[in-house]
Amino acid sequence: MSELEISNITKDYGATRALHPVSINVEQGEFVTILGPSGCGKSTLLRILMGIARPSAGEIRLAGTRIDPLPPEARDIAMVFQSYALFPHMSVGKNLSFGLRMKNVPKPERARRIEHALEICNLMGLVERMPRQLSGGQQQRVALARAIVMQPRLLLFDEPLSNLDAKLRDTLRQELVDLHRRIGTTSIYVTHDQAEAMAMSDRIVVMDGGRVVETGTPLDLYRAPTRAFTAGFLGQTNLLTADADGARARLPWGQLVTLSAPAKGIARVSVRPETIAIRQDEMGAGTVTSVSFMGANALYTVGIDEMTLKVSQAGGESLIAAGSRVSLDFNGALHLLKDRDLPEAA
Amino acid sequence: MQAALHDRKIQLALLLLPGVGYLLLFFGGPLVSALIGSLRLDDGSFTLQWYERIFTRVTMLRGLQTSIYYGVAPVIVSLLVSIPLALLIRQNFRGRKLFNGLYKLPMAVPGIIVALMVIIMAERGGFIDRVIAPFGVSMPKLVRDEWGIGVILATVWKQIPFMTLIITSAFAGIPEDIRHAARSLGASRLNTFAFVEVPLAMPGITAALLLTFIGSMGSYAIPDIVGSPSPRPLSVLMLFEFGEGRFAQVYAMGMVLSLFAVVVLLAYYALTANIGVNRTKGDE
Repeated sequence: MSELEISNITKDYGATRALHPVSINVEQGEFVTILGPSGCGKSTLLRILMGIARPSAGEIRLAGTRIDPLPPEARDIAMVFQSYALFPHMSVGKNLSFGLRMKNVPKPERARRIEHALEICNLMGLVERMPRQLSGGQQQRVALARAIVMQPRLLLFDEPLSNLDAKLRDTLRQELVDLHRRIGTTSIYVTHDQAEAMAMSDRIVVMDGGRVVETGTPLDLYRAPTRAFTAGFLGQTNLLTADADGARARLPWGQLVTLSAPAKGIARVSVRPETIAIRQDEMGAGTVTSVSFMGANALYTVGIDEMTLKVSQAGGESLIAAGSRVSLDFNGALHLLKDRDLPEAA
Repeated sequence: MQAALHDRKIQLALLLLPGVGYLLLFFGGPLVSALIGSLRLDDGSFTLQWYERIFTRVTMLRGLQTSIYYGVAPVIVSLLVSIPLALLIRQNFRGRKLFNGLYKLPMAVPGIIVALMVIIMAERGGFIDRVIAPFGVSMPKLVRDEWGIGVILATVWKQIPFMTLIITSAFAGIPEDIRHAARSLGASRLNTFAFVEVPLAMPGITAALLLTFIGSMGSYAIPDIVGSPSPRPLSVLMLFEFGEGRFAQVYAMGMVLSLFAVVVLLAYYALTANIGVNRTKGDE
């Protein structure tokens, strides 16, 4: 039995369906990210988990107990909001003690837990401050401390870093990962930022259009996505069609490649830019249309047979000029997707 | 002349003149002239006798008390109705739009009409009385009664929409996430309301209290028409003194009423200086 079992949850707003039956299991102590573009249903799912929205059907169990009919205050769940949602009329200390007082935690226990939360969230010395006297990063730390002081069974994060500037975001991201390692609370983290999802999660649930597209570890989803949507959303990729016959396939411009799994007829493949080797070749099939030098690598766009491919080359001694003829080498097997129709290359 | 225009201080004074000048001329001017008028005898010599009369004469003293009572009592009743009403309007229910439009209607009705309406409806022998008479019940004395029930009814009827409007927007200004955060931290609906929403809406609530208090304390038509003949509030007594031609007395009474309003205003600033005015907005 999983710690959190989301079974066939749906949500309808009138005639529009925001969530198609969604089922996700989360193990105890796991850090799971729900990743998807805006409007994919991830926020709706989070609201349902929290209890501020009712599912139209389905059930949710937390540690074996059914929680979907319960009001938010009766669930053992705490949430960290994108807007921080600190109580502006309460000091940091009061913000932290609010939930504990609501749950009638005795005073000595309250003090002990608050002390601990302040310490692990790096907030010592700010207890008396009002939220408006804190920086964005500090406010988000208070929001986090306010959630973990409850010692909930489940922690929910609603894009908690998206209001912060890039540098602070990286710092807090690392702090969150460390914190999760220390306290080990089962966590669900909602974001549209694929880098965040890959850097933090034990497992990623990719959502699109109110459906779960695919679930897996960051590494698996990046290296071996089974859906074009996942491939395109997690980093850059080239989505191609190939004419397959067993493990061999022919790309549209005639080049022969190997597939990760045998197929027959038209096959869809995802090729990461960094798995393609580019080589200057007067007889090559492709033409470099643009070059962006990124420092650690160079990013080429290559026109080939009326298609455009992205190629990333790391550690090259020199750059290949735009307009040069090139040939591409596909190292290893190309990754076969299960989609029936290929969307426009992402 | 040219040089004077280049002087920074003169430039500033000129730029401020339309705003500050207007305030001085139309607010400060009358106030100062009323103040001076309240301190003069007919021959122009200085006196405090008009103030002395307010604080020594029984009718005047009771008038002051009545003014405060007519100011405070309706505000309390209005508040008790307006907060639940504001919460109700937030909910989704059938006919909400219609209700939302209708409840504001009393704001457009002048006080004198409201007063006459209360007389027609609630006086003994009035509309309600005649409707319930066949059942063997009769109305208690609600108009020109010693507790000022009629005044309170009429004032409340006029105040509720205004107060509800302000309080509704005060509650609406609280970000939804904050409410949700309170719920997820274990607060019931009631606790969320009491410990999070009310404190955050307090600036709006006190503003509504203040504005309605000042309005009802100074109102004339309603207490004159439906108020008890004795005691009468200062506003009504003022008109009587005006009729007698004792302008200096009228000025003095006006100053005392204004002083009360100012004291309440200062209390409001002191109370709201520290609560919920600065909302958390994150980094932007």
